[in-house]
Amino acid sequence: MKHYSEEDLIAYQMSESPEARSIGEHLEQCAECATLAESIAETLRVFSAEPVPMRTPVDMDLSWQRLRGNLAVLEAAPKKRWFSLWMWPAAGALTAAIVVMVVLGLRIRHAEQPAGGQETANQRASVTDALKSLVGRHQQAHPVNGHGPLTDAPSDDPQISAHLDSAERLLTTVNHEEGPLDEATRVQAHDLLLKNAVYTQTARDRGDLAEAAVLDNLGRVLIGLDHAAETPRSTWQLRLEMNTDGLLLDLRVLRQNDERRSSR
Amino acid sequence: MEKAEKETIRRVVAGDRDAYRVLMDRHYAAVFRISFRITGNEADAEEAAQESFLRAYNKLPEFRQDAAFGTWVTRIAMNTAMNLVERRNRDLSVYAPRVSDDVGEGTVQVASHRAGPERVLLDMETATLRQTAMASLTPMERTAFTLRHMEEVGMAEIAEALGVPVNSAKQAVFRAVAKLRRALEPVAGGMR
Repeated sequence: MKHYSEEDLIAYQMSESPEARSIGEHLEQCAECATLAESIAETLRVFSAEPVPMRTPVDMDLSWQRLRGNLAVLEAAPKKRWFSLWMWPAAGALTAAIVVMVVLGLRIRHAEQPAGGQETANQRASVTDALKSLVGRHQQAHPVNGHGPLTDAPSDDPQISAHLDSAERLLTTVNHEEGPLDEATRVQAHDLLLKNAVYTQTARDRGDLAEAAVLDNLGRVLIGLDHAAETPRSTWQLRLEMNTDGLLLDLRVLRQNDERRSSR
Repeated sequence: MEKAEKETIRRVVAGDRDAYRVLMDRHYAAVFRISFRITGNEADAEEAAQESFLRAYNKLPEFRQDAAFGTWVTRIAMNTAMNLVERRNRDLSVYAPRVSDDVGEGTVQVASHRAGPERVLLDMETATLRQTAMASLTPMERTAFTLRHMEEVGMAEIAEALGVPVNSAKQAVFRAVAKLRRALEPVAGGMR
């Protein structure tokens, strides 16, 4: 008899399973799975919602007084004018240049078109080979980023999942931030940077080069965050760097390896 | 976003600090509630809620008003509370007394002291076990689990708030339940 995994049964008990009906039928026949499902249900009952303490008007007043003391008078941010007047002629000139280049390119290609189809096919094949060779060389030079699965070896250190979790959230925050980084984000980046150096070394010592490479890359971005100048542009550059390198994806893959380990 | 809220934000951004009280009064309960679910105790929830409103205030000039202020500040609260849990986990000397404080203060469900001493002891033990089990979760697991199970927030919303794919949010919840179940095994009589 096929048994359902713990994860399937958790999804079932939390009403998140797409196969709820077949799992329900299975539980009526399989005592082993039924025991596990009941254990999950019991866990969910034990961790059911506790009452949230009420905030009285006096509490609210105190909270406001504490908060108000920390509020500086704001000044509205200057509105960004993405397309100021001088940019319209520049955009027009650029469009015209592109049109001219496309037309010229088509004419030249037409003039150089060989008579036989065989030669064209050979040219296409050589271009494909050249592209394949370039991609191959790139993959050799960058074996980690952007060409998953990166590694399927789970980490041995349980604290690494908490570290990856924090790093992923920090990078996601930075990725969605507008303007310069606030103090709390910088402090968090600094803390993560210190821990990251230890985890990178541990991964290297363990011989897990894929994980070490991702953590190394993370460290580079964290150094950038820790020392980022107070300009909106600096965070924009970091966001671009993170997106380009697929660092967030790499962190998620490492975390998923960890998830597999814990579900085993 | 409703017109009155937009107008209030405009006033705050124009330099009227006291207008921020209107936004705080309206959204504090929700922010405190989420913070309490994530941190698990009243003092930390209060600290996280205060910090969230301060961060929201400082970011208000850049706030794009296509989203509701309530949704925005609640998301800030989730991240702030998660970071606070992480700091507490790091500093075990601060966190450890808090667990027993909570049990003593009755912020967890313990039996009435009119119950027999054995029952009180057992309930206190269970409460401590619950706290310890929750502390073993990563901040993301804890947040995803409490929001889904205790606040009944949808997976898509949780994923959006945490800035992760829906599947990652689901995995975080499932992982949390599996860890909590294992943590309960010693008192549950070794269920499978």
